[in-house]
Amino acid sequence: MQNDRRFTITALCVIVCGMGCVVLLSRWLDERRPAPDSASAEQLYLNAKTAKRISPGFNALLADWYWLRSLQYVGRKIIDSHATVQLDNLGSLNLKLLAPLLETSTTLDPQFLAPYEYAAVVLSAVDEAAAIRITKKGIAANPHVWRLYHDLGFIYWQRRDFKTASETYGEGAVLPGAPRWMEAMKAQLAVQGGSRNTAREIYERMYQESDDPNLKEIAGRRILQIQSLNERDVIRGILSEYSARAQRCASSWIEVSEALRKARLRLDASGTPLDPADTPYQLSKSGCDVELDPRSQVPPD
Amino acid sequence: MGRISAIARNAFREAVRDRVLYNLVLFVLLLTAGAIYLGDLSGGQERKIIVDLGLSAMLLFGVFISIFVGVGLVYKEIERRTVYSILSKPVGRGEFLLGKYLGLCLTLFVNVAIMGTGVSLALIYVSRGFDPLALQIWPAVLLIYVELTILTSVALLFSSFSSPALSALFTFFVFVIGHSSETLKSLSASMNSVSARWVFAAAYYSFPNLANFSYITPAGHGQTLPVTSIIAATLYALIYISVILSTATLIFSRRNFK
Repeated sequence: MQNDRRFTITALCVIVCGMGCVVLLSRWLDERRPAPDSASAEQLYLNAKTAKRISPGFNALLADWYWLRSLQYVGRKIIDSHATVQLDNLGSLNLKLLAPLLETSTTLDPQFLAPYEYAAVVLSAVDEAAAIRITKKGIAANPHVWRLYHDLGFIYWQRRDFKTASETYGEGAVLPGAPRWMEAMKAQLAVQGGSRNTAREIYERMYQESDDPNLKEIAGRRILQIQSLNERDVIRGILSEYSARAQRCASSWIEVSEALRKARLRLDASGTPLDPADTPYQLSKSGCDVELDPRSQVPPD
Repeated sequence: MGRISAIARNAFREAVRDRVLYNLVLFVLLLTAGAIYLGDLSGGQERKIIVDLGLSAMLLFGVFISIFVGVGLVYKEIERRTVYSILSKPVGRGEFLLGKYLGLCLTLFVNVAIMGTGVSLALIYVSRGFDPLALQIWPAVLLIYVELTILTSVALLFSSFSSPALSALFTFFVFVIGHSSETLKSLSASMNSVSARWVFAAAYYSFPNLANFSYITPAGHGQTLPVTSIIAATLYALIYISVILSTATLIFSRRNFK
């Protein structure tokens, strides 16, 4: 009986001490392990077609896996960059795996719409040709889905090819179930493709239609940015009017608060105009210009 | 009929007593619950991930149950020599095989129903209320079950003349080939030699075309299947299973247990 107890206690000690040693040793080894070679780490072992062939009956699950990997890949790159970057402007992060990951996901499940939208919004800033190729592949596999035409039109709009963007929205507008604004967007792009109004319209539609919270956030921030650009134009007009009248620039917001109020800008209690994210605008040092507060949620220009 | 149902009930009881089944069901339910959290990382694709992961797990673990329990159904009886006492009674060898097969099919039915309910509940939980997808997945669940009944019959066929390890291996190969049958068809069409064309065409029709039951991807998109497709696939399965079980009975009835 006593021997049994001794054996149990000894075994428990060995288990606890052994696990403790394993943890310590693992940490020691992790610290000394050379950093992975980024060139060799960034490879996809399977191309899209092979992945499809070796996943009998599990294509959808594998497509999800590649989709999750795409999101993780972008997230990790953003974290590693230690910089504040916008998700629709990741050209500087060398995201060379993003296109093949999205390609594989959409080959495994051609009806999975989220990767096409991600390609249009995020990949287009990294590899425009790949983004167009993937979105066109989506249209070929889902010719009745108008949202894909919206995605493709967005890519063309971003590259300032307003004619093709207008045509793309036009093609999507005639599909069954397409909302009326697709037709309106076609006309707007043809007439004033580069205007802020068009940009605002496009981002508002993206905000309404997207299921992806990250893409919604991008669209929301871009809407705030456009709204702020419009507000700053108004404020600049008021400041230049003041300086023409007073022969000097404004030294504080109070001096122009009445004009700001008349222009229907939102002001805080001290008469300082607020940006769309509710952060007060800053008067430049010279007093002749308006600037965004660096802490504001509105993306910088 | 009474004899077959008695053997089936017994096979079902035996399978249910096997704790591996409970572990697999529990594992799938945990996996589905995990899918809810995995969905948070999916950029708004929670529902699709739950359906894909849940149904794929259902298929994968269903295949494991079909293969590993299926190949042991007959072998265990021979190994324990209980087959002698059963066959000494007025029970035909065909009735014995059919009873065993139906017993495992019943076990699979219960498993698939529990797993399907788990996926539906996960969808309702994620949607914070009723989600039409929770009902739309059931035709795909039904076809997964039909696919598993085919695999069980194949496992039973192999186990009627081979060892459990080899039977499991062969059945797994049939599962893989059955899902790649399009390749066999295209190989048959692209061959220059007429005999090679015939060989591949024969292989294409001999192996079960499991792509007929593969509707996990459309289910994830909330697409419902045409009723005619479901009926045709089920009919195909019934005919194929009849052929396989007849072959298994032929082999088993000629087997010498001495």
